[in-house]
Amino acid sequence: MQKQTTPDHGPQTHGTPRRATFQWIALILATLATWLVGQTGATGTAIVGLLAVISIWKGSVIILDFMALRHGPLLWRALILGWMALVWAVIGIAYWKALA
Amino acid sequence: MQYKSQAVAMPYFIAAIGLFVGQIIFGLIMGLQYIIGDFLFPAIPFNIARMVHTNLLIVWLLFGFMGAAYYMVPEEAETELASPKLALGLFWIFLVAGALTIVGYLLVPYETLAEMTGNNILATMGREFLEQPLITKVGIVVVVLGFLFNISLTVLKGRKTAVSMVLLLGLWGLAIFFLFSFYNPDNLVRDKFYWWWVVHLWVEGVWELIMAALLAFVLIKVTGVDREVIEKWLYVIITLALVTGIIGTGHHYFWIGAPEYWQWWGSIFSALEPLPFFAMTVFAFNMVNRRRREHPNKAAVLWALGTGVMAFLGAGVWGFLHTLAPVNYFTHGSQITAAHGHMAFYGAYVMVVLTIISYAMPILRGRAANPERAQVLEMWAFWLMTVGMVFITLFLTAAGILQVWLQRVSDTPMSYMATQDQLMLFYWMREWAGVMFFVGLLCYLVSFFVKGGTATPARA
Amino acid sequence: MNTTHSPAAPQPAHAPRLAGDLAIWIFILAELLAFGVFFAAYAFTRASNVALFDAEQLALSRNAGALNTVLLLTAGYFVVRAVQAAEHAADRIAGHWLAAAIACGTGFLAVKMFEYAHAFQADISLSSSPFHMFYLSLTFFHFMHVILGLVILIALWKNVRAGRYRLGDMNGLETGAAYWHMVDLVWLVLFPLVYVIH
Repeated sequence: MQKQTTPDHGPQTHGTPRRATFQWIALILATLATWLVGQTGATGTAIVGLLAVISIWKGSVIILDFMALRHGPLLWRALILGWMALVWAVIGIAYWKALA
Repeated sequence: MQYKSQAVAMPYFIAAIGLFVGQIIFGLIMGLQYIIGDFLFPAIPFNIARMVHTNLLIVWLLFGFMGAAYYMVPEEAETELASPKLALGLFWIFLVAGALTIVGYLLVPYETLAEMTGNNILATMGREFLEQPLITKVGIVVVVLGFLFNISLTVLKGRKTAVSMVLLLGLWGLAIFFLFSFYNPDNLVRDKFYWWWVVHLWVEGVWELIMAALLAFVLIKVTGVDREVIEKWLYVIITLALVTGIIGTGHHYFWIGAPEYWQWWGSIFSALEPLPFFAMTVFAFNMVNRRRREHPNKAAVLWALGTGVMAFLGAGVWGFLHTLAPVNYFTHGSQITAAHGHMAFYGAYVMVVLTIISYAMPILRGRAANPERAQVLEMWAFWLMTVGMVFITLFLTAAGILQVWLQRVSDTPMSYMATQDQLMLFYWMREWAGVMFFVGLLCYLVSFFVKGGTATPARA
Repeated sequence: MNTTHSPAAPQPAHAPRLAGDLAIWIFILAELLAFGVFFAAYAFTRASNVALFDAEQLALSRNAGALNTVLLLTAGYFVVRAVQAAEHAADRIAGHWLAAAIACGTGFLAVKMFEYAHAFQADISLSSSPFHMFYLSLTFFHFMHVILGLVILIALWKNVRAGRYRLGDMNGLETGAAYWHMVDLVWLVLFPLVYVIH
């Protein structure tokens, strides 16, 4: 809350540039994959599942590493990751309902 | 009391409490008229009692807000009020104008009052909560502008804090949105738009800023937590309040002829309106838990915590209950609305004004806190009023659910008046809960006159 | 605070630490809740208008959506690099990274405005169909968040150049960065949901 009072944290809270760069490249490749699926117009439960997995994986990189929640309190890590999971669960249910 | 001019807050607080008593008496009369339709008829018909009940509420809360500002602003700005004389003069103008308006409601038929007060020049009367005659409306604008001039000058010449900035923003917003009450287009849909821009943008917009500022001020004083920490919460709360409140206006556009997308925008953003209140609850408890001093005024701390909880319940939870368009389709304008209105106004605005009065009054009377016995009685008043209000809300909610069921959901719907007959049991219980509230209010009044053995000496 | 920790010093075991202010995290949670409700509303409205949603979705530009995803992810990466640079007291470099992130964010806004111009030419409005209502509402709500995020990044850029952040006193920078990443995170759901899944 107040100004950081614990001076005992090191650079690894935000990872290393090298790691961040690899993650960035992977995120871009994952985006291309989603785009490619969109271009082919492929659809179906398996495809939607794949898109969800890609989105959740990308989100977890942002949450754990970019937002540095990997080193954050369990509660907050669970809340934000939980949001991601919940949103996709709801989208999944709605998609399944649309098929039925 | 750190600054002499803070003393002008005292008459405002006294007037607020006096009008509060009047409001509750009319509430009790009206509650009984739900059951015995011709009670006090034709002297005080239901529509007049209702108008007096709601108008008194608005006026006494305005007295409370102004008193609070006159008390807080010199202390925040660390300078005397720009003009204590102006503040005192406006007090008398506002009190006399308010009293004359109420007397006008009670003694003159409404249409005669309209003729007498220039409604044919500019028609502004006849709309719920904005029933005031034109001259009263103009009077309110004059008083509020004088008041804003006074406190804005004070802030400008002194220290500028986040608390006083948020307070000023809220009060200026209050004044600006009130101007919509002067425009009353013939087109019913447009009329409703402008009406909601006063009513909604007040209570679910700028008043929340005033409330957050009052709460923050009292919490800074009674907990001794760093201003920096409290200000950060203040920013989060006002951002949430403004975004959800302003877009949430859409929940009034569902059935008045506005485009269909408002059902989505209105539902989603007003469903999020509990968030700023939730943040206020977390904020109040968090600050009290991290307190750095034990303030002798226990009653004020209780009111502050109570505000956090009751505002969240009344404005947040009870608002959410019927804000989604598919639900509101059935519940619109039923006793569920009345339940929400009662607990929201009490939990948010009545309680926050009583919080600042509870904190400031002893200091204005020359002591840091009231004697133990007075505080115990005040806390009794807190519990009687709060529990009374919880019961009023629960009984009205029950009445509302039954009403919606019989009158709107059922395959063989009953007429409005036939449905009302079925709700009598709940109306009786609501009236008794109202009596409990009134007993609490009497305890509150008495608590100002209780003398204790050893008074706590005033700080500074 | 005024720590004398050098970045190269051996690190003690770390207690969990929330990067950024608690208040911003409460705010982020509220934002995620708002977007979450909007996403759910979209998905369930689609479920009862499948044919309409699928047809009108096809008219969107997936190229623009993907390009915008790349821009946001890249901006997010640049913000991470800026935070890392500031931790090493490399203020000038951190400033450059933030400037690059601001450029990417501005690029996002530009692409989005082309999309909107195109949509308005096609007479798409909030009232033209349920899909268009959601498409415009969701993306515009997000658009406003990108603008706010950019304002925050610009403030951070000014502060970084003034050397305001140091290892152990990173609160302001981390708070702003967390907000930007939230804006990014939301788009990672929005893009596949509104542009691709059918």
